[in-house]
Amino acid sequence: MSNLLSVQQLDIAFGKHQVLHQVSFDVAAGHIVALVGPNGAGKSTIMKAVLGLISIDHGHLTIDSHPVSMTSHEALKQVGALIEYPGIYPFLTGRQHLELFADKENREANIEQVIKALHMTDYIDHKAKLYSLGMKQKLGIAQALVDRPKLVILDEPMNGLDPEAVKQLRDYIRQLASEGTSFLISSHILSELEKLADDVLFLDQGHIIRQTSMAELVTSGGTSYHITTADDADAKSRLIALGLPVLTDDTDPEKIILLQKTPQTLNQALHTLLTANIEIVDIVKVQHDLEESFLDMVNHQQEVK
Amino acid sequence: MGTLIKQEIYKLTHKKGTWFAIGLMILVQVAFALMQHSNPKLYGLESLVNNDYLGGGIYLFIMIASAASIIAMEFQYGTIKQLLYRQYYRSQIFISKLIVLFMQLVVLQVIASLVSFMLTAIFSPNFDWMQKVGSNTFLHQYLVGILGNGLVNCLLLSVVILIATLLKTNAAAITSGFIGYFVSMAASGIILVLINKWHWLRFNPFTMLMTSSQLLTPSMSKVTLMSTPLMVSLTIGYAVLFTVIAYLSFRKRHV
Ligand SMILES: Nc1ncnc2c1ncn2[C@@H]1O[C@H](COP(=O)(O)OP(=O)(O)OP(=O)(O)O)[C@@H](O)[C@H]1O
Ligand SMILES: [Mg+2]
Repeated sequence: MSNLLSVQQLDIAFGKHQVLHQVSFDVAAGHIVALVGPNGAGKSTIMKAVLGLISIDHGHLTIDSHPVSMTSHEALKQVGALIEYPGIYPFLTGRQHLELFADKENREANIEQVIKALHMTDYIDHKAKLYSLGMKQKLGIAQALVDRPKLVILDEPMNGLDPEAVKQLRDYIRQLASEGTSFLISSHILSELEKLADDVLFLDQGHIIRQTSMAELVTSGGTSYHITTADDADAKSRLIALGLPVLTDDTDPEKIILLQKTPQTLNQALHTLLTANIEIVDIVKVQHDLEESFLDMVNHQQEVK
Repeated sequence: MGTLIKQEIYKLTHKKGTWFAIGLMILVQVAFALMQHSNPKLYGLESLVNNDYLGGGIYLFIMIASAASIIAMEFQYGTIKQLLYRQYYRSQIFISKLIVLFMQLVVLQVIASLVSFMLTAIFSPNFDWMQKVGSNTFLHQYLVGILGNGLVNCLLLSVVILIATLLKTNAAAITSGFIGYFVSMAASGIILVLINKWHWLRFNPFTMLMTSSQLLTPSMSKVTLMSTPLMVSLTIGYAVLFTVIAYLSFRKRHV
C-alpha cells in the first residue's frame, strides 16, 4: 500500500452541528498534502479524528492500513502531531520537553538534529515559560518531528513564525519528505503552502470542494475566463456536460467562469461552443494570484470537478 | 506503561513545587520539634509524634494539590492532546497518573516518618516507642495510624481527582479538597449525631473519613454503627467508585 493515511467518508457532528460531510482523501508515502480552508471549515476536526482524539459518526480511518479510532491507537506510534496550539509545560526547558516525549532509540541524536534544523539552539535550555509565541510554536513542531515519525500532522504550523523561520521550517519539511516522511499540513493561507505541498485539499464547511495537485493548481489556478455568449444557459450546460471546470457565481448564476485546468481548457471550451453553433460575444481573461483563486473557490459553489 | 510512568515522574520531579513542598514539610516538622523541646508543656510529645510533628497534615495538603493538578494541568497547559494522541490507551494514561500519585503518597509518608524518628531520637532520646498504649505498643498504634490515614487520604484524593477531571481546573479541585478535609474534621460530631438519628446515613462517604479514628479506637464502632472491617471496605469501595467515575469522564472527553 502506498497510501500511508487513508480517510474514507468521514462524518462528524458535534451534537446537532454536522461539521464534516463525507470527507475522503489519502496521503501517499513521502507526500506533503495541504489542507486548506477558511476558519471553521473543519481542518482541526479532521486532524483530531485522524489522531483518535474525538469520536467519529461514520467513516473509516487507517494509517499504514491499520484502523485508527478513539479506542485503537496502535498505529499512532508512527505519527507526530501539533494540533491547534503547542502544549507547553512552563516548568520544563525546551530540551526537557523533547527528552520527555522522544523515544529511547537515538534520543540524543534526534533531539540535537531537530534543534539544529529549526534553529532553536540559543534558547532550548531556557524554561519554556520564558518563550515567545514563535519559540513555543517551534517547540511544538519540534516535538512532532523529534522521533522521525512516518506521518506528521501539523495544524497551521506557520502561526507566529517570522519569514526566516518559515523558510527554515519549509526546507526541513521538504528534506524529511524527500527521505520518505508524509505530511498533512493545514492552513487558511494557501500561498503559505504553495512552495511546499504536493497536493492540495480545499475544505469548506466540512466538504472537500476540490482536490488537486499543487502543480496543476499553479498552472491553472491563477487563470480563469469569463465567457459571454448569446445563450449563456445553454453554453454553460454544454461545458459542464463535457466535464470542464466551470464555476457558478451565486449572484449571477448564468455567468460562465471557466477555470484553466490545463493549457488546452480554453481551446476545448471554444471548440465545443463553436461546434454547437453558440455565438461567443466576449471572453475576458482574469489572472488571479493563488490567494484570490482560493477565495474564488470558496465563494463560488463549484458545479463540476 | 513503564514509559508513561517514567514520563509522569519526570514531570513531577522537574517541578520546583514538588521539592519546595517536601522542604516545607520537613521544616514544619523540625519547627514543631524545636518548640516541643524548648517548651515541653506546649504539646504532648506522644500526640506530636503520632502526627509526625504535623508533617502528616502538610503532606495531605501536598497530595491534594498534586492530585488536583496531575490531570487538570494537562488541560490547563494544553498538553492533553500531545498526551492522548500517542499509541497508548487512555486507560493506561489515567492509570499511570494514579500510580505516580500513589508513589508520591508513599514517598511523602516515608519521609515524614523518617524525619519523625530522627527528630524523636535527637530531641527526646528517652522516648519509649514500645510503651503500652491500651493493649498495644505505641509503635503499633503509630503504624496503624499511618495505615488508617493512608486509607482516608486515598478516599479524599479520589474525590479531588474526580472534581479535577470533571471541571478540568485544578483550582476548583484543590479548593474542594481542602474544604472536604476541614469539613470532615469539623463535621464528624454532626455526622455521628445524624447517624444516631437515621441509621442508614452511616453508609454516606463522609462517615468513611472517620475510618482512621476507628482503626485506632475500635470502640467507635458503637457510634458509627459499623464494624471496622466493613468501614475499611467501604472506604476502599468509595475511593474506587470515585476514581472509576473520574476515568469514565476522562475516557469520553473530546479534546
Ligand atoms: N468540541 C467542539 N464542540 C462543538 N463544536 C465544535 C467543537 N470543535 C469544533 N467545533 C465546530 O466545528 C467546526 C470546525 O471547527 P475546526 O476547529 O475543525 O475548524 P478549523 O478549520 O480548524 O478552523 P480554524 O482555521 O479557525 O482553525 C466549527 O464550526 C466549530 O464551531
Ligand atoms: Mg483549526
